[in-house]
Amino acid sequence: MVNSNADSAMGILFPNSYDSLVPELVTERLMASIPFASRYRLVDFLLSSMVNCGIDNISLIVRKNYHSLMDHLGSGREWDLTRKVGGLNIVPPFAQKTVNVYNGRVEAIASIIAYLKRQKEKYVIMADTNIVVNFDFSALLQQHIDSGADVTIAYVKEEIPEGLLDIDMTKKDLYYTLEMNESGRVEKIIVNDKDKGVKNVSMNIYVIDRELLIEQIQESYVNGRTYFERDIISPQLDKLNVQGYQHEGYYARITSGKSYFQENMKMLEEKNVEELFAHSPIYTKIRDDNPTRYMAGAHAKNVMAADGCVIEGEVENSILFRGVKVKKGAKVRNCVLMQDTVIETGATVEYTITDKNVTVSSYKELKGTESFPVFVEKRKTV
Amino acid sequence: MAKEMIAMLLAGGQGSRLYTLTQKLAKPAVPFGGKYRIIDFPLSNCVNSGIDTVGILTQYQPLVLNEYIGNGQPWDLDRLHGGVHVLPPYQKSTGSDWYKGTANAIYQNMNFIERYDPEYVIILSGDQICKQDYSDFLRFHKEKGAEFSVAVMEVPWEEASRFGLMVTDENDKITEFQEKPKEPKSNLASMGIYIFNWNILKQYLIEDENDPNSENDFGKNVIPNLLRDNRDMYAYRFDGYWKDVGTISSLWEANMEVLDPENSGINLFDEDWRIYSRNSGMTGHRIGQGAELENSMITDGCSIEGAVKHSILFAGVKVEKGAVIEDAVIMGGSTIKEGAQVKHCIIAENVVIEKNAVVGAMPEGDEKGVATVGSNIIVGEGAVIGPNAMVSEDVKGGDKVW
Repeated sequence: MVNSNADSAMGILFPNSYDSLVPELVTERLMASIPFASRYRLVDFLLSSMVNCGIDNISLIVRKNYHSLMDHLGSGREWDLTRKVGGLNIVPPFAQKTVNVYNGRVEAIASIIAYLKRQKEKYVIMADTNIVVNFDFSALLQQHIDSGADVTIAYVKEEIPEGLLDIDMTKKDLYYTLEMNESGRVEKIIVNDKDKGVKNVSMNIYVIDRELLIEQIQESYVNGRTYFERDIISPQLDKLNVQGYQHEGYYARITSGKSYFQENMKMLEEKNVEELFAHSPIYTKIRDDNPTRYMAGAHAKNVMAADGCVIEGEVENSILFRGVKVKKGAKVRNCVLMQDTVIETGATVEYTITDKNVTVSSYKELKGTESFPVFVEKRKTV
Repeated sequence: MAKEMIAMLLAGGQGSRLYTLTQKLAKPAVPFGGKYRIIDFPLSNCVNSGIDTVGILTQYQPLVLNEYIGNGQPWDLDRLHGGVHVLPPYQKSTGSDWYKGTANAIYQNMNFIERYDPEYVIILSGDQICKQDYSDFLRFHKEKGAEFSVAVMEVPWEEASRFGLMVTDENDKITEFQEKPKEPKSNLASMGIYIFNWNILKQYLIEDENDPNSENDFGKNVIPNLLRDNRDMYAYRFDGYWKDVGTISSLWEANMEVLDPENSGINLFDEDWRIYSRNSGMTGHRIGQGAELENSMITDGCSIEGAVKHSILFAGVKVEKGAVIEDAVIMGGSTIKEGAQVKHCIIAENVVIEKNAVVGAMPEGDEKGVATVGSNIIVGEGAVIGPNAMVSEDVKGGDKVW
């Protein structure tokens, strides 16, 4: 084989991580399948990044509400993941006597330990899907190999996002900040840091040797530990060589309904779109829509729109997903309108997120504010 | 496993009257309607009609077409048994030949058809814009107990002499065939779409091949032979939209008609008869602060800062600030820079129109020319391309081309 398995990696994604931060968006889906930037789902970004870096054996360990994700991914063809060896592997919870969906990463990985043992790749790369990034996994892997680390954690230098500061400790989502020495070795992992200022915030992207992961998970699982970072990595920082890898390119982290809205809006700036998409292509499910039509009398200003839309009214500062219809005299400002939303004649919508298949009736007014956008649930008629 | 009907799609057409647009690609691969290529129409019609086996006969500049078709997945034609197959001329033990005519192209691929042991074969043309249900055509063919059927369109009598015409009796049975006659006896024009019983097709293809004087063409040779033998031949009337986009002006016109589905009859927005195409994979398009858009179709990857009126933009077209586009067809990846005026024209793929250049003009009086700029051309700053110009080489800044 041309590619020996000496430096190859397999991927594991956790599509349900941080679901609890965006409750309104995940009533019928999970984090990974939340629509983003007019024609993508969040999972597309990490999945495409992995594929573009030659990672073609990717498991997604789902815990609930995963039908929309299964529908989106299909056989994985759009991501070139329909492989005889490797490819896409969606792992639903395994029902035993009682349906026991797992908590935390340790249990999740423990559920596929037999599968992990059979794989040939030397490394495992793990990630959550609440981040939007065109990530260079090759560079991460190269640094991991060159530094001789046991574990490498990707991080960004930023202030802790608002949505994370408000995190409810009783829910199971944690976030991590890193303290490193000058050689990049992680000396301390702080769980749910509340301090102000720029921190090394973990992206929750990890590289670890597959054998080491299996060994650590087996031991932790038996001992009832649940969190990979808090219960495995953090207590062993003296024993394990844990390195940080700084990501410097464009990236967005969805930590709340508000940040979902804001990160979508950032896609209206050409510079951001270029940074996010220039590195390599992001793949997504194809819907075979026809091009978008702007009819006589349409006004559009500062808009990102996918195919299949029909615009007869006014649209400004908004993101339109596939198949959105804006009828005559309707006004859409500062909105995120998901697939097949219909804004009927004369309706006005401002600072609003509409989920899929929403209809806003004629001459209806919906107005949110920048900090509290209105959210309309899937298939609702307002 | 036998198939009831398979399709043979003639895609070797050079499309020489499209000049610069078909210099590097076959006519069926010419982009159309914002995100399609002409061949998407017959291919999508096949799938939507339940035909899952299609042989595509290529000859002229097949590179772009081959890559575009690939394994046929965008049309759902990647099948275990059947699916889409590109069939270029190949070398046989008895020598190798280019396809001498439409009938010869099928003759040379009789082995391909034989593998599927079909009852019927539909012969399609890869260079027409038409949404047609071939299963309805087959129903007609079976109901009539026909051995051969041809799809026909009623055309205005005054134009009839430009077409191959089918003269029929009251039962739609064909009694005579007139190829571009001076005095037409019928106004039913052949669309070049035929259904044959496979055993009949085979017999006549062999006969035709053995005739050294034959031009090996369906219209000129095979159909007259069928008539000579009094075969059961019927004309199937089709009354939907049909356009042979063989010339620059008809290609431009058909694109403009896409913008007006309510009146033109070509509706690409019909969810019950989707036209499939290979996806560009680009991000959603972006409309900037100062953009003006009216009556236009915009697709993925476009970025619009200027004014776009009554035009079709393909994937990845950039229109900079102050640029004005009107009645134009702009194919994938082209850039229209600041202040340029692009009107009543076709701009091919990956063209750059530099600042303040002028391409084409809105019609005035009898002047209705459609300016055309070939692919990968750069039209320099301030250059002027006249309304009848056909540009196939770079134009220097400030130059005028008429």
